[in-house]
Amino acid sequence: MKVTVVTFRDIFQSEAQELDRFGEEYRKMSAVVFLDKNDASKAGIKDGSNVLLESDNGRVVVVARLSEDSHPGLAFMPNSPWSNRLIPAETDETKIPSFKNISATVRVTSDGVPTVEDLLREMVS
Amino acid sequence: MAVCTGCSLLCDDIEVSIDGRRITKTKNLCRKGFGRYRSLSSDRSVPKVDGKQVGIDAAISRAAEMLRDAKRPLLFGWSCSTLEAQRKGIELAKRTKAIIDDTSSICQGEIVEMVIRGEIPTCTLDDVRNYGDTLIFWGCDPSSSHPRHMSRFSYFPRGEKLQRGHEEDRTAFLIDIRASPTAKILSGNFVQIPPGGDADLIDAMLAVLDGKIPRVRDKKAMIAMMNTLKKADTGVIFPGLGLAYSLRGRMDRLKALVDRLNEYTKYNVIPMVGHYNMRGFNQLLFDETGFINRVSFADGIDHGPMYSVVEASKSCDLAMVVGSDPISSLPAGIAKALARVPMITLDPHRTLTTELSRVVIPTALSGIEAGGSALRMDGVRIGLDPIVKSEYPSDEEALSMILGAI
Amino acid sequence: MVSAMEIYQLTPKLNCKKCGLPTCMAFAVALLAREKQIEDCTPLLEPKYEAKLKKLREVMAPIAGATETGLIIHDERCYGCGNCVVACPVNVANDPKGSAIGLGPKSDRVILVVEDGVVKCLNPKECRRFGPNRILCNLCTATCPSKAIEFV
Repeated sequence: MKVTVVTFRDIFQSEAQELDRFGEEYRKMSAVVFLDKNDASKAGIKDGSNVLLESDNGRVVVVARLSEDSHPGLAFMPNSPWSNRLIPAETDETKIPSFKNISATVRVTSDGVPTVEDLLREMVS
Repeated sequence: MAVCTGCSLLCDDIEVSIDGRRITKTKNLCRKGFGRYRSLSSDRSVPKVDGKQVGIDAAISRAAEMLRDAKRPLLFGWSCSTLEAQRKGIELAKRTKAIIDDTSSICQGEIVEMVIRGEIPTCTLDDVRNYGDTLIFWGCDPSSSHPRHMSRFSYFPRGEKLQRGHEEDRTAFLIDIRASPTAKILSGNFVQIPPGGDADLIDAMLAVLDGKIPRVRDKKAMIAMMNTLKKADTGVIFPGLGLAYSLRGRMDRLKALVDRLNEYTKYNVIPMVGHYNMRGFNQLLFDETGFINRVSFADGIDHGPMYSVVEASKSCDLAMVVGSDPISSLPAGIAKALARVPMITLDPHRTLTTELSRVVIPTALSGIEAGGSALRMDGVRIGLDPIVKSEYPSDEEALSMILGAI
Repeated sequence: MVSAMEIYQLTPKLNCKKCGLPTCMAFAVALLAREKQIEDCTPLLEPKYEAKLKKLREVMAPIAGATETGLIIHDERCYGCGNCVVACPVNVANDPKGSAIGLGPKSDRVILVVEDGVVKCLNPKECRRFGPNRILCNLCTATCPSKAIEFV
């Protein structure tokens, strides 16, 4: 399923980030994507499913959550090292990355959600 | 009273009870700020050189050595340091002929620059509380990012001219993509737009002001909103990251709207700066160089997009990161480029960036363990007094030691 | 949140008046308003109503922490933003130099304060919802971004 990924800030994630960027709580609050209920059901995605998000710039596995409000076509992700896997490294002449308007696909996966350590390992590989 | 450095509101009415280094009770801190205070005792960084724990002096002297040998160093971060530390940082950049940039480079820089240059009018948050009767929160969710913004300054409190508070005296609009927690409070005045729809919305708003029919679905609501905006006594626009990213490179559109609204009544702009002293760094560097960010001291003073953290991460031969976690907050492709560069990081906490740094210099947590001063999002200077002692130096002290050792 | 009708369904529906109220529906309303205790309905304590009693205790458990005004604070949802502290008309009237102007409370007669990042209720008797002449004020719940405050 095609979606537009928009990053946002969540206060519980900010709180978890203050306390421990390597902790399970921060990962739980960060490695998620909020999908529209109807979009998700059409794509066979359930609340709590692991999903693979893939953009032209990268891929990442996170947990799907279904939003109470409807927002067809949009996928909201807390701003984090997980969402940053999808953000283009190429920028326009402003040199400001596009954090809030990313074309991506999303599908169910059996792969696990990476830890911060996994993300770091990949960064230096 | 203590000050909270959890965000750029710098709330200065915080009451804290402490027992030694342990915080036993706090009053008036929001959830985010309470997190900042609790971080006093969680996941603190330790001095390291090449992955091995060392004494702080060894870390400082290794950092000085690396800076001395670097040909094209990048000094990045700064938005979570005091003005005093930032001043030392700019001095260090000059001494090492470095590129210096801060987090505004990847977020609110364009809007903050217009404010600092005086290209769009601004006011203080105290002015907003006393006189701001018509507000636009644009591409932001203050409930989540600046939890006390609406209760301390903008919407709920009584002000000098606004004795009846939000119920009768204030009108607030929210423009955003997402039905955020703030949209739950302002549901009657929530204008939902598609991603990247900000410029079109500005065109529609300007069309109504020009007496034309706006090209939007709900024309009636748009005309009603513009009538309210025109009738304001004192209007304030709070642009957030949503607007900053959507309008990047086209901030003249925002200026056009603000100018046009100012033909009717006073409209001010206060950008929703995230980190507690980003505004301070931008002001200091501007006073020093005429630019708020992206400056190179390699040959006099030069400025441009090639000195942005996004570009400099790829071209520098050393990065010193102060109070920031770019490995976490940059797009992965750019973080990967930065990770290939030897890094020196000054931070109170263990971060993704400290994990990949050659040298880690732990610092005191400003506002809690270290004093100084900072500029609130509206440019008002707030003094910080430490409430507990730290075994580690403040950013300012650490930078002074590095300057002394180079 | 449990309603008076749901509670009524779990009463013996005898309208026996042993609780001092004319009907079981009136008892259900009083129970929800914390003016009566479950034990005030003596027939309900008889063995034949054991299942109903058990279920009633279950549905009443989540609102056991409510104050005399029916206020419940869900700590885990609260942002600590203080919107309710500043919007509360009693806080404003009793604390003109503090919460009325957006600052932390300076008076000890305020109802709502924020401690350790979460809102707390201090003086429920000051609330407009307290007592027989209550006014159904909802400024604290209407200004909450996260449904962290509820009245039952």
